[in-house]
Amino acid sequence: MVAIPESEVPAEGGYDDDGKPGFFARWFYSTNHKDIGTLYLIFGIISGLIGGFLSFMMRMELAEPGIQFFTNEHQYLVYVSMHGLIMIFFMVMPALIGGFGNWFVPIMVGAPDMAFPRMNNLSFWLLPTALICLLISFVVPGNANGNGFGGSWVMYPPLSTTGHPGPAFDFIIIGLLAAGFSSIFGAINFITTILNMRAPGMTMHKMPLFAWAVLVTAFLLLLALPVLAAALFMLFTDRIAGGTGFFDPARGGDPQMFQHLFWFFGHPEVYIMILPAFGIVSHIVSTFSKKPIFGYLGMAYAMVAIGVVGFVVWAHHMYTVGMDVNLKAYFLAATLVIAVPTGVKIFSWLATMWGGSIRFTIPMQWALAFIFLFVVGGVTGVMLANAGVDAYLHDTYYVVAHFHYVLSMGAVFGIFAGFYYWFGKMFGVMYNKFLAAAHFWLFFIGVNVIFFPQHFLGLNGMPRRYVDYPEEFAIWNSVSSMGAWITLAGVAFFFAMLIEAFIVRRRVGDNYWGEGATTLEWTLSSPPPYHQFNTLPRIEDNAEH
Amino acid sequence: MPSNNKTLMILTGVGVAMLGLGFASDPLYDTFCKVTGYGGTPKIAEDNLSEVLDREVTVYFDSNVAQDLPWEFKAEQRSMDVQLGASGLAYYTVKNTSKYPVTGVANFNVMPIKAAPFFVKTDCFCFEEQTIQPGESLPLPVIFFVDPQLDEDDRLSDVKEITLSYTFFPTEEGTMPANVGPSKRAEVTN
Repeated sequence: MVAIPESEVPAEGGYDDDGKPGFFARWFYSTNHKDIGTLYLIFGIISGLIGGFLSFMMRMELAEPGIQFFTNEHQYLVYVSMHGLIMIFFMVMPALIGGFGNWFVPIMVGAPDMAFPRMNNLSFWLLPTALICLLISFVVPGNANGNGFGGSWVMYPPLSTTGHPGPAFDFIIIGLLAAGFSSIFGAINFITTILNMRAPGMTMHKMPLFAWAVLVTAFLLLLALPVLAAALFMLFTDRIAGGTGFFDPARGGDPQMFQHLFWFFGHPEVYIMILPAFGIVSHIVSTFSKKPIFGYLGMAYAMVAIGVVGFVVWAHHMYTVGMDVNLKAYFLAATLVIAVPTGVKIFSWLATMWGGSIRFTIPMQWALAFIFLFVVGGVTGVMLANAGVDAYLHDTYYVVAHFHYVLSMGAVFGIFAGFYYWFGKMFGVMYNKFLAAAHFWLFFIGVNVIFFPQHFLGLNGMPRRYVDYPEEFAIWNSVSSMGAWITLAGVAFFFAMLIEAFIVRRRVGDNYWGEGATTLEWTLSSPPPYHQFNTLPRIEDNAEH
Repeated sequence: MPSNNKTLMILTGVGVAMLGLGFASDPLYDTFCKVTGYGGTPKIAEDNLSEVLDREVTVYFDSNVAQDLPWEFKAEQRSMDVQLGASGLAYYTVKNTSKYPVTGVANFNVMPIKAAPFFVKTDCFCFEEQTIQPGESLPLPVIFFVDPQLDEDDRLSDVKEITLSYTFFPTEEGTMPANVGPSKRAEVTN
């Protein structure tokens, strides 16, 4: 930190309007971590609407056998692919890491802002650019069957090389590279902030768990995303006529190598999406049980362990490519090992609640639902980790059900839990409890009705990524599609809640959750001042986490 | 903030290193497969100096042609019984059914994967590109042996059959008339 002479330190509220610039400069040139966090959250909501619309159309199509809404299989696959890419790179990651990470990591570690505020601005504005590239890919030719890219979010060659000669996939490569570099810059920013800018007395082992979660996530991003970038570059040059042949067997390449590279990124990516949610849920469970989190160090290092082991299990996504049986045995065992640190986290949350003075507030409901649903998704994950079982379940709806339980219900419930937990802190107003409860219950019931029957469909052998299916799968598909309507009603209540809260403006105090909320953001006003910690907080030795 | 800049440099270095590792994976992956015979990549040797055992395996010969290569490609013999350590000579035949010369190169694979490290080729048509004139037919030899060390490995005690598979791919653009679309390619089958 540059030492500022005492006389030049601006007194709190010492100049006009807390130093906020005008509208355009504030939101477009923003270097303030809270404003950038808000931008990320708004961006995440917009992307969530786009990705949600795509999945809603898929569910409507699959409500009954036959092809109803889509012109052909390709168009359906474009929706599937774009739903995956948009939800992962433009909804979950911006909301959890960019949104809550930017808002609360600097505050929780007692820093005035992020380490590199201008780079933070760059990180954010790369994302809308990237999203525009992805949206352009919808309307430019993909292959002979129509516009857009229909090769799923995994982008395996040769479907993504010779299978999609049109420019649609080139736009996706450019968009994903932009989003990837945005995340890498963001990761460098978070790591530097957390390692170098903690307030006096805030040792690593006193740092709140959300900051720990973002630290581990940032390291995963920094190590995994460059590998995706390399794989995408190679796809890009492979696609050029007369270009390279990294993944083309005719030119000595190997399409399987792309799968290895992709999943070397792709598996850490799923932890990138869930770890920040782990951090948020830890704070919420602790706050509303009025107890410090059980086994704080175990919780922190369980996340580190998940991050480390997450890098050596990638080929469990590829059991069916024709792998040596010993290799399968290794990836099977390594994958099952991840259940251990994950179990440490689950049991520590339960132990935190044990004997606690529990309040079932809205964020606590989301957090409890998160724990329950994440366990369901985790158990099916243990099933799928078994290479022998996976030979049967690979690419069926069982897999779809599994990863939506951990993401669509795990990560997304984590986002909503954090959103309601910090809503008053971020915006200074309280949500309407009835609208928020309606949002929670409709969403909770809706997503379960969508995804639970997909376990049955998968076990019965219904494959993923087809626009149509035989009559025998009709019943559970129609149930699943009804769930989409319930979820849609839940989302409507979410927006009703937002609009109502900003019209009525029920002001809240500094620490509206009371004595359970102990991290530094609760020592600030709601919303926090535009620049916080002009005098750095000093963390005492006996402070709780 | 000198310490922040230092952290920035280190982390940028880590990111760039991972990017480099991503690209380096291509030669590393190739080398790894060739050295270990992992994933069904057969080994290549100068000549066969191994002792001959009584144990026999049946080697099956499989042939494939990429969709956009107008060739007929088949093995002269469906299978061959060879003793471990003994050299075998097998022939494939390839015929160019198109009206223009075409150059192709064959890729190869051995099943079961666990037997691949013991399947050694001393001479093979797949080591170089083959150019075939219109209508011409060409015999293609492959000389191989199964390393007798296979007999010492308990994991391979159940191996009685080994399949050697080749796939021919066109090597370069321009040997085919341009704009052969996917619909035309679909007509060419194995």
